[in-house]
Amino acid sequence: MTGGTGSFTARNKVAIVGYAQSQIVRHADRPLGAIAIETARSAISDAGLKVEQVDGFVASSMFPNAGGHAIEDGRSIVTTDWMAQNLGVSPRYSAGFQGYGQLPGSVGMAVNAVASGAAEYVLLHRALHNPKGRYNANPMTEAGGPMQWTAPLGFFGPVSTIGLTYNEYLQRYGAKRETMAHVVVEARKNGSRLPWSYWRDKPLTVEEYLDAPLVSDPICRLDCDIPVSGVACFVLTTAERARDLPHPPVYISGFAGSQPPMRRLPTHWPLDDMIDLGVGLADRLWSSAGLGPKDVDLPQLYDGFSPFIYFWLETLGFCERGTAHEFVEAGGIDSDSRHGLPILSSGGALGNGRMHGVPQMLECYLQLSCRAGARQREGATVGLACHASPNLGGVVVYSSEPS
Amino acid sequence: MTRPVPIPDEVSAPHWEAAANHVLTIARCSACDSFTHPPGIICGHCGSTSPVFTFTPVSGRGQVLAWTIARQPFLPGFETPYLLVDVELEEQKDLRIVARLLDGVDAELETGTRVEVAFEDLSDGVAVPAFRIAQ
Repeated sequence: MTGGTGSFTARNKVAIVGYAQSQIVRHADRPLGAIAIETARSAISDAGLKVEQVDGFVASSMFPNAGGHAIEDGRSIVTTDWMAQNLGVSPRYSAGFQGYGQLPGSVGMAVNAVASGAAEYVLLHRALHNPKGRYNANPMTEAGGPMQWTAPLGFFGPVSTIGLTYNEYLQRYGAKRETMAHVVVEARKNGSRLPWSYWRDKPLTVEEYLDAPLVSDPICRLDCDIPVSGVACFVLTTAERARDLPHPPVYISGFAGSQPPMRRLPTHWPLDDMIDLGVGLADRLWSSAGLGPKDVDLPQLYDGFSPFIYFWLETLGFCERGTAHEFVEAGGIDSDSRHGLPILSSGGALGNGRMHGVPQMLECYLQLSCRAGARQREGATVGLACHASPNLGGVVVYSSEPS
Repeated sequence: MTRPVPIPDEVSAPHWEAAANHVLTIARCSACDSFTHPPGIICGHCGSTSPVFTFTPVSGRGQVLAWTIARQPFLPGFETPYLLVDVELEEQKDLRIVARLLDGVDAELETGTRVEVAFEDLSDGVAVPAFRIAQ
């Protein structure tokens, strides 16, 4: 079942009108909440608004690691209620997105809130904390619930999850691990140009990629984004109100998400699930946005693990199934080339740090509102921003034109 | 350092009791007879809200569909590197279980390599499934 594909009546009726992003660092030297409040105030000001005008708050506050770290609102996560309370606002609407594809899911909720009139100005945020200690190492001595079926058997953590799926891809299509160097080098090239990136001024060579240690074959360390601390905020309102605000609005044309099936072990993502569920997501996405892959100038794909790039290229229709590796090998994703598909012009997660879909959304906003400065790309009017993987992720389509 | 052990619950207890005796059992829906691993609240095959899963002994034979070599010890008690295999059991299409392959990290694998279940004893009365390449 893929669900309905009815027309999205809020298409291009809600827009992003401002943003702010903190510096992306390995470990912040101040509480996450303090950085979040400063970033929120900056974003609201950037949108030409006052804090008291913001009456809606939307976010995902999921803490994305398997290490069993304690969770404290304002330090390791920032919920919408914490954000509103500490900004001194009593909002009309405050809601958290529960699923994966956290950023697209949050955008969808923000659009719904604005389009329905539940809120006039929504602050959407993502605040990420990198705890001290090993990120995904877990000292558990016993495992109950869903994890009893995996951890005691030695199947634990996201790197093994993606190692299995990626190896299934390599084996089935005769792809080479070395080809992925093009993805990671492209992400780091673009990330090195961003003043806010953890990887600013640190491009990567193919040789450095190939020398990186394997973590869960065929995944090496550089196939994984680096955990960081950082905050991004966006302000959304109606297309009508956006006309009176200082920056060119960027409209939300459509969005879609996906969920893994029942009958699977937790964190087990076979390749066919990955691609089939992603194709279903893409059908819903194009139906929602009223366009298709050929209409997208700026497809910002998610790369928290580098193989996700292949999976998004194939599920969204930019490549035939099983051919993304050939497309990448042939130089197809060089964003500096006139003929390249600029899927990682944001630097992605691999070129910014683990900002969970923020780079992709931010690139769509900056480019489509013509606020990208020296990196401004000519003529881009439609973008899309992915987050997570096609089997349990989300995508938003953005447009610089209201229809 | 010891490996994490499973905590049996009211649904899974028969599975772990059988595993302790080195018998692999898989949950079977009493409404539609389909195997499901792991068992959820609703049967993913027929949608039954009262699937009354019965853990049924299976052959333990299957084919490898994917594999990875885990090189970092994310959990206590595991010596790295080790091979993890994604195995489709022969009882039902797409009935998949992920566990260690006990033939060593240099074992030669390809898609479709036949394997059979083996067990790792973690402590008295606690064993978990793993696989070996079939002879």
